[in-house]
Amino acid sequence: MSVPDDLPVLEVTALEKHFGGLFALSKLDIAVRRGEIVSVIGPNGAGKSTLFNVITGIYEPDGGDVRYMGESIVGLRPHQLVKLGIARTFQSVRLFANMTILENAMVGQHCRARGGVFGSILRTPGIRDEEERIKERAIEALGFFGPRLSGYRMDQPAFSLSYANRRRLEMARAMATDPYLILLDEPTAGMNPRETLELRDHIVRMRDELGLTVVVIEHDMRVVKGVSDRVIACDYGQKIAEGTYDEVAHDERVVEAYLGTKATE
Amino acid sequence: MNRVVKAGLAGGAVTIFLGLVGLIERFADLSLVGEQVTFSRLILVVAPFIVGYAVGRPRVEHGERRSITAREALLWGAVAGAVAGALVGVAAVAVDAFGVERVRAVFIQVTQGLIDFVTLGLEPPIVGAIGLTAISAVAGVLGGAMHVVPDRIRKPIVSAIATILALGFLQRVVPVAMAEIDLETDWLYTSAGLTWFGAAVIGGIAAGVSILKTWKGDVIRDAIRGTTTGSQIGVEGSAPRGGTSVLRTVILGGAAVGLFVLPLVVGSVVSERLGTVMVFILLGLGLNIVVGYAGLLDLGYVAFFAFGAYATGILTGGMLNSFEGITPPVIHADLSFYVALPIVVLLAAFVGMLIGAPVLRLRGDYLALVTLGLGEMVSVLVASPWLTPLVGGPAGMRDISDAAIGGISFRDPKNFYFLALAFVILALFVSRRLYRSRIGRAWTAMREDEQTADAMGISTTSYKLLAFAMGGAIGSIGGALFAVKIGSITPASFQVFVSLQVLGIVILGGLGSLPGVVVGALVLVGLPGILREFEEYSFLAYGAALVIVMLLRPQGLVPNVRRTRELQEEERAQDAWAAEKEQEAAVEGVST
Repeated sequence: MSVPDDLPVLEVTALEKHFGGLFALSKLDIAVRRGEIVSVIGPNGAGKSTLFNVITGIYEPDGGDVRYMGESIVGLRPHQLVKLGIARTFQSVRLFANMTILENAMVGQHCRARGGVFGSILRTPGIRDEEERIKERAIEALGFFGPRLSGYRMDQPAFSLSYANRRRLEMARAMATDPYLILLDEPTAGMNPRETLELRDHIVRMRDELGLTVVVIEHDMRVVKGVSDRVIACDYGQKIAEGTYDEVAHDERVVEAYLGTKATE
Repeated sequence: MNRVVKAGLAGGAVTIFLGLVGLIERFADLSLVGEQVTFSRLILVVAPFIVGYAVGRPRVEHGERRSITAREALLWGAVAGAVAGALVGVAAVAVDAFGVERVRAVFIQVTQGLIDFVTLGLEPPIVGAIGLTAISAVAGVLGGAMHVVPDRIRKPIVSAIATILALGFLQRVVPVAMAEIDLETDWLYTSAGLTWFGAAVIGGIAAGVSILKTWKGDVIRDAIRGTTTGSQIGVEGSAPRGGTSVLRTVILGGAAVGLFVLPLVVGSVVSERLGTVMVFILLGLGLNIVVGYAGLLDLGYVAFFAFGAYATGILTGGMLNSFEGITPPVIHADLSFYVALPIVVLLAAFVGMLIGAPVLRLRGDYLALVTLGLGEMVSVLVASPWLTPLVGGPAGMRDISDAAIGGISFRDPKNFYFLALAFVILALFVSRRLYRSRIGRAWTAMREDEQTADAMGISTTSYKLLAFAMGGAIGSIGGALFAVKIGSITPASFQVFVSLQVLGIVILGGLGSLPGVVVGALVLVGLPGILREFEEYSFLAYGAALVIVMLLRPQGLVPNVRRTRELQEEERAQDAWAAEKEQEAAVEGVST
């Protein structure tokens, strides 16, 4: 897919999502350019995860539009969006706990393969090559995090991993789908300071080495500061500030949203 | 102590229950060994033995493992056994005092004979009750002794007793098989169970094998696995793991030959039942794809069984019993079974999708309930007047093809076994290939977490439909073979119980496990047929078996092998990996 560089990879316009009387998203506008790392920040309940869920097709929006590579993707199912190149991780880690680490990553490659029933039963040469390729690609994705998910670990069930490694595996699984755009929902939650700093580098590497466009929801301001080309602050489902980290961090409304009082008082 | 008494009371209650349902008296004449060891007598001591064993088990108390001394084990076993026996004795005395006839008005299986039996035929009953208590106490002590006696003595004894009892129960099967291959049976069996001499020989052999296993066990195991003790796995390149040894080949070959000669030696009664087992293995393999692989709880699986059977009937010239005599159904074809079968299978896959489509959005309990209803609809439909011109209503269909090839009829139980075996092997092959492919991975992911699977690029809709289609296709083969096997079918064979039975097979064997399906079918379908005497109690045994297995072994009898092996080999792999890394580090250390 060749896209002009200036066209936004992801463009969200006037997005609305209501749950009963609650406006989780309200007239939200966001644009993400190719190769950018954009952080979305905001207090709990600001609608950040809802935004991800609408983009990835888990929720249908109640209004507005989501455009990916210039085309509207509203109404597409999550698995169709993965095939188009949008991958994500979940705030509450959601691995296939009883599958091995390698199998988890291989599931990511599912959408890039097409082996059917009869081919799989007969195990034709084509299917065997495809399986080989899926495995190689999965191992490659796991290798992004160094030895942590490689070696003997690949054949262990995912539930045996530490919390931080589960988060890493979730990212590896998302990367194994060969995405253009990756959405990371609080990737450092539950990690210790050292692991958090390391993950900061990983996020930058995703863009620099793999050429991914990254949108990340994050609470840890060191990470936000370290990775972001641009920061978008949300509250009550609306965008309240946008710009570089320093601009947003000193924005009155952002400080107010976080502290709950007017900063000027 | 409280715990010990409670266990004893529970054991006594079980025995009383078995007495009330008539199990004890019914088998007073079923001798296992000689005329002395009857099934009923065995029942009387089984419960005390088990509670005696149970109370002596080491257990975890307040988070600490508390081991039990030999004296405690024996004493507690005696007490628990005595309590169990005393409870049964007291119950018998009470019934006797109250009047057997009056109790019989409610519990119709309670007879004077039962009371006499339980009180050991002694007068007055209270003496018999005391005797029973004493015997039960001994049984309890023996149960407790299981923890006390060292392994090398215990194992041969247990193995000898288990083998003798198993052969005792199989007294209708083993002699027939032995006679078929011209073996003398008189030394081993009489008309009533094993002879004492035979039992002694069998017990001796079993004990000998057990001793040999303890003594040379690891050598034998290595020979079978084709590994040598102490070979380092994964450290020095590829170790010769999985290499075939002569012994391993012999065992596998022996098993294969056994499968083929089985119906030739077991006689037609058991062959007939083996054929039924094969049909249920096919049903189990089909349902395993839906429930075990894709995680869709389908309680209406009988629909595919019925579809396969009736569609085969219609396509292979089946006729209807009607008021005008024997008439062809409104849709009628007289194809060869082998032409009809692919059509039936394809149609069944399509029906699977039709059934799957409306329930795609349902999960768990809701899915189970709706499929239960859909399955029941099929049972009702095939008996309904509306479909009578097609499937014959309650009178059913007859004259279905016997799938003969060159004059060999597969209506014959022995021939049928081979036909069914071929399809079972095919279904096993298909299941295994699918499970270990991209498709199997997608099913597993979907079973683990449907929404996440969707968000990772798996079209859950397609894969659910595919699971229903594949499950339906394999299940319909089971139905088709069933129709061939018996030649005429009626709605009575397609009741909702079949769904539950097949689900029982899959769950008992272990969800997602192919050997599990085979073992599950052998246990739940095969055993009741072989132990004919127990037929009327088969549902009781069925329920008890499910409860016990689910409590003690919730992963099933033969759990999904791959995962189990992974867990076991994890440690060795980890060690190998660590050693490798250490070596690398050492090399780097030298070079820098």
